[in-house]
Amino acid sequence: MGHRKGYKIGLICVMIAMLSLAGVTLNSLNKSRAELGLTRVQPLENAPPVLAFTTKALGGFRGLIANALWIRASKLQESGKYFEMVQLSDWITKLQPHLAAVWVHQAWNMAYNISIKFNEPKDRWPWVHRGIRLLRDEGLQYNPREPLIYRELAWFYQHKIGEYLDDAHNFYKWYLAKEMSEALGPKGPPNWAELLDPKTDEQRARVQLLREKYKLDPAFMKQVDDYYGPLEWRLPESLAIYWATFGLTKTEAEKLKREDLITLRRVIYQSLQLAFRRGKLVRLGETEGDILYGPNIHVVKVANEAYIRQMEMQPDQAEHMSTGHRNFLGMAVYFLYTHNRKEAAGEWYKYLLERYPGAVQPPKNLDDYALSRISEDVGEIDHNRVKAIIMGVFEIAFMNYGVGEDDVAVNHELFAQRLWTRFMEAINSADQKQRQRVGLPPLKELREEVLARVLSDDYGLDPIINAQLRTRLNIPADAYRTPATTNAPPAAAAPEPQP
Amino acid sequence: MQQVLAITKLTLKAALRFRLVQVLGTLLLIGVVALPAVIEHDGTARGFIQIILTYTLSLIGVLLGFATLWLSCGLLAREIEDAQMQMLDVKPVARWQVWVGKWLGIVALNAGLLLVSGAVVYALMMYRANKLPADEQRVLAEEIFVARGAAREPIPDYKADARLVLQQNFASGPPAGVEPQQLEAFIEARVKAQYEAVEPLHIREWTLDLGDAADLRDAPIYLRVKYNAAVPSGTENYLLWWEAGPPERIMNLLTETTFRNDPYGYVPGHYYRTNLMMAYEGFTEFKLAPNLFNDQGVIKVRFYNYTSSPMSFPLEDGLEVLVRRGGFGLNYARGLGILLFWLSLLAAIGLTASTFLAFPVAAFCSICLLIISFSTGTLEQIIEEGGITQINANTGYADEGSILNKIAVPAARGTLAFLQLARGFAPIDNLSSGRVISWNEFAMALVKIVVLMGGMFALLGILIFNKRELATAQTGH
Repeated sequence: MGHRKGYKIGLICVMIAMLSLAGVTLNSLNKSRAELGLTRVQPLENAPPVLAFTTKALGGFRGLIANALWIRASKLQESGKYFEMVQLSDWITKLQPHLAAVWVHQAWNMAYNISIKFNEPKDRWPWVHRGIRLLRDEGLQYNPREPLIYRELAWFYQHKIGEYLDDAHNFYKWYLAKEMSEALGPKGPPNWAELLDPKTDEQRARVQLLREKYKLDPAFMKQVDDYYGPLEWRLPESLAIYWATFGLTKTEAEKLKREDLITLRRVIYQSLQLAFRRGKLVRLGETEGDILYGPNIHVVKVANEAYIRQMEMQPDQAEHMSTGHRNFLGMAVYFLYTHNRKEAAGEWYKYLLERYPGAVQPPKNLDDYALSRISEDVGEIDHNRVKAIIMGVFEIAFMNYGVGEDDVAVNHELFAQRLWTRFMEAINSADQKQRQRVGLPPLKELREEVLARVLSDDYGLDPIINAQLRTRLNIPADAYRTPATTNAPPAAAAPEPQP
Repeated sequence: MQQVLAITKLTLKAALRFRLVQVLGTLLLIGVVALPAVIEHDGTARGFIQIILTYTLSLIGVLLGFATLWLSCGLLAREIEDAQMQMLDVKPVARWQVWVGKWLGIVALNAGLLLVSGAVVYALMMYRANKLPADEQRVLAEEIFVARGAAREPIPDYKADARLVLQQNFASGPPAGVEPQQLEAFIEARVKAQYEAVEPLHIREWTLDLGDAADLRDAPIYLRVKYNAAVPSGTENYLLWWEAGPPERIMNLLTETTFRNDPYGYVPGHYYRTNLMMAYEGFTEFKLAPNLFNDQGVIKVRFYNYTSSPMSFPLEDGLEVLVRRGGFGLNYARGLGILLFWLSLLAAIGLTASTFLAFPVAAFCSICLLIISFSTGTLEQIIEEGGITQINANTGYADEGSILNKIAVPAARGTLAFLQLARGFAPIDNLSSGRVISWNEFAMALVKIVVLMGGMFALLGILIFNKRELATAQTGH
């Protein structure tokens, strides 16, 4: 009997020893799995109990169920039935919450594939918005250190809303600007003091909206604005920069593939270039799609720095990227020149020639270079660029009126008229929807906008020239005194955003 | 008949005694009421109603389906195992009467539960719909709470045309290195594409019979279109130009300039034209003006391809005209009826399995049978590839006629033919998209699902039950 008891105790001891050994091995194995990136071993973050339980309880069957749901979603999509897509996407992502590619695919499918199946912009926007919400409100909640999700979210803002490839892009921009105005205040740049330390109920409500609905942190927004701005936070490229920068700060400490971080950095400099071309909100009307934007020439320096930083971090791609950088500098010179920033244009032109000695062939002085670019761009098809050029030409015209050079001024006005007419004729062969998508606002509107900006106090025009311009164009002394722009240059250089 | 009804009553009593009805009824009501609160929809009233209909009816189908299988497998198998059937067997009741009585009992139980849960879904849906703004109620009334029928052009016999092309051009067989099946598939695809394609600056006309003109007077007419573009547009859609009207009154073909200058023309009773940005590779539905058909109910639809890309409209579903065929209430009732037919088939399968198998094995076999019925894609693939082994990766066909392949293909063909009897009926899909379930379709479902498929299982089940030696199944006594 004693022998039998000893045998059992021995077996229990062996069992405990084996379990302990298995525990030690398991830890070591999990560590290796994490190091080698074989599987995800961390528990699901921020998951509600039901989701945490489901992911554990279903085990390997989750994949099978997700597959079945995915097949159903594909079939429904093929037959044009979209009413179930939101629910199916929700289930599919919840069943595989750790797979970033699943989040990205489902969001992309809604924002890109399903949205375009609807004719009306107001019917398309909810699908774009759903794609954004899926990534921002849920994907990032469970995967806060996943660069792929940050990159895709930023890309939706930069490309889907920010570019003009979707017929409804103006509506998207308008709707987004309206939403952001609700959180940031209707006019002008954000009042950071209010957002960082709200005093009134109205201010607190706006900050709550910003944090809870749009998942934006005002303190981090300010850091981004100080570093890359001034940015127009009601336009999509600013949000693209925010999410890419936020993604970098959240993921840089992780052991990730270099390419993952590079894609985030790429979003930043591409969005800055976009902000330079048209990152200023000129008008935000009440009618659907009534939005007018122009170039934000204040961000040229930070955009340039973002390019250089990216080239330094990717020496193997530097040569390839230098082409983009050179084009950006050429465009910057030209935009500054056409916007009557001749001094700044000269400095950047000098910088262009120093950095890329063969960039301008045959060698030209600044005036000749700018004029040759204008001639090139007369055939340009990017409506943002053409609009920026026209507005720049008007600016030069008004300066010339101000200094009494009426002939030069009239010539520039005529030139602006020619550019506008030529572009509109070029797109006239396109159908009505396309004309609506890439068409320019009426010339009178563009002229009015530039005039308002030039005459505003913020523009800082010499009072005598200002008065002469008013007299020449028969404008009362008190008209256009309020600032027309929404962006102002930064007071001082700011530190890089920190996590 | 008296014996059958007595068994039916006993079956219903047994279900009540097991508290199955109470549990199932409660589950159904909770599900039907709670589901709308947890489902995420696309944000539109139409999407909300569609998803409620789809998910609540699916939930009802799934719950009742599992309960039916459990009940049908359990009732008979357990009574045989517990020797209760021996007591019944000595009474003047034929075994087929026992089988039919139990089947009727389960069907009656399902009918009752389906009626109650279906009525609750209907009432809840109408209650929610009535609270919506008038505009949305109108959309629901025209597109969801309606029974719309689809008029399509008959599909031309392009396979016969393809055979003719083959005979004329390849009488001596396919060129060297090309498999006969490959050549046949290629020619068939080419001929079909000729029917479907519309080249740039060309038109395509469809003449469709909508039915009785008097019934359609002033009713909304919708065009549902699906097309593919040979040249991607960049924005994934094209501006398409449409014209519709009675064949005799519609204007002569328009020039591009005329149409572009007046793209939204409408002369009541004569023609209606419009242009729309439409995404390719998906369906777009849009409303036409009413009364665009002649006295015989025939409408002509024209598509003008003013784009630079060839377009193609699939013969199967490239274009259809949707018109009202009836009200939603009766359509809904017919849809529930088809659900009941499926449940009746499940009951027959379960009862048949339980005549010769123990309860767990019968349930397992019935579920396996259901899984096979969902695998028609695999069966189709076996037939298409000519087997299940030695499939040539280059041609996609089985190169050699092995014994396995020779057995697999006819077996797959036979199974598929049997399963096809129940396929093609999609009451939930039809209801959620406002499509009509006609009386004809309803009758076909009854005949195919209940009479033919259910009848085959019933015959098999009764036959086995009659031959079964009940005493050998007795356990635990």
